[in-house]
Amino acid sequence: MTAHRFGEFAIVIVFEGNRAILSVGGDVDALTAPTLGAVVRALVEQGHSDVVLDFGGLAFMGAAGLWVIVDTSTQLGKTHGALTVRSASAHTRRILDLTGVSALVHIELSDPASTLGAEQPPGDQSRNRPSLPIAARLPRMGQSHTSTEVIDAALRLVVELAKATVEGADGVSVSLERNGQLTTVAASNDTVLRMDAHQYETGEGPCVAAAVEGHWFHVESLAEEHRWPAFIPLAMHEDIGSILSSPLLGTERSIGALNIYSSSERAFGPPEQELAALFATQASGILVDAGSDLTDGQLANRITDALKAREVIAQAQGVLMARHHVTAKVAAATLHRNARTAELVVRQHAIDVLASTQGIIESDA
Amino acid sequence: MIEAIDVLEQARRDLGLSVDDLWYRYFALGGMSAALEVEAILYGALLTDEHNRDVLAVALNERFSELGRDHPLAYSDDEGLPDPVV
Repeated sequence: MTAHRFGEFAIVIVFEGNRAILSVGGDVDALTAPTLGAVVRALVEQGHSDVVLDFGGLAFMGAAGLWVIVDTSTQLGKTHGALTVRSASAHTRRILDLTGVSALVHIELSDPASTLGAEQPPGDQSRNRPSLPIAARLPRMGQSHTSTEVIDAALRLVVELAKATVEGADGVSVSLERNGQLTTVAASNDTVLRMDAHQYETGEGPCVAAAVEGHWFHVESLAEEHRWPAFIPLAMHEDIGSILSSPLLGTERSIGALNIYSSSERAFGPPEQELAALFATQASGILVDAGSDLTDGQLANRITDALKAREVIAQAQGVLMARHHVTAKVAAATLHRNARTAELVVRQHAIDVLASTQGIIESDA
Repeated sequence: MIEAIDVLEQARRDLGLSVDDLWYRYFALGGMSAALEVEAILYGALLTDEHNRDVLAVALNERFSELGRDHPLAYSDDEGLPDPVV
């Protein structure tokens, strides 16, 4: 965590009157986007209402980078300013189009881009732009539920980025629980769609397991795989050699999976596994921020659940205080450390501590 | 080694966890600060003690753990332990 790999990420700022031109190089990803965001925000706050992002040196644009663009565009919108994207590669422009972000910015050296936008939400009359898939909603993520179309567009982006980035990946998909059923909401090709469908039909496979159990499943070689006997023959029929499924975690539980398929056996080593985890994190973040992982009822239950957890942890803390004659803070620190050593969440460890008293908790805690 | 606050904020961003979501987790773990205070702490606008910072680190570590990554954030009393977790 402490080693921040910024790679070639660099920003060069040139001022032309009131216009600020930022040449951005390297990768704009979850790690570097906050830096870019902070720089742009500072410029806007200083009164620069004409901002140009020159992406000529850009190597990679992740979802986090898109959010910087959206955020900047929103800020500039308040001051009647303008955001221009210059020298974006065809790939970056496609990403901007796909997500509808191109509707928010001026794109230099290219035709005004058409967008794959969702319909304007009926309740939203804040602006009269032809396409508002993300503009009206992203800045408010966390407060309101984002439309399914926007979420799906963001997930398609994650799928495309994962396929382009993970070596050996022949197909990538995102499965999501919707209306109580797993369904594929983004897939890079038809084979992948079928692979997911086989798993939903048989009710088994790494994707289903990752979505249900909330941890990752790796099939190194389908020929040698003994789990999921109904699904594996169907997958081999599609000439798949290996599968890596990472869970998408909602606020409270697993809500889907990011699936990477390869026609080769043992295609995914530790670097690919790490990348898969990062993309799954990104997809999870999109879903959690969009609030799409929680219904209103679940949202209401959340605080109750947190209160229950607090109570259990406080009780366990009391047990430790009485048992070891320590302060509350020392007891809490002991719980944290022991939970980590036992690879348990603190709540479960607290339950175990309480169970260890076997119903004879001393009342002087 | 205790983690600096900016490391916690960086971790929160890496995890794609909103301040609200982090706060719920922190609150469930017994954290005593309000959501707005947690936000201020993460941005370095409000100082806090080691214990409170640890509870935030635990909340973040549990999220890392759910995603199959090891507990990367250290706690304040990790110093001198035989098996520091990286």
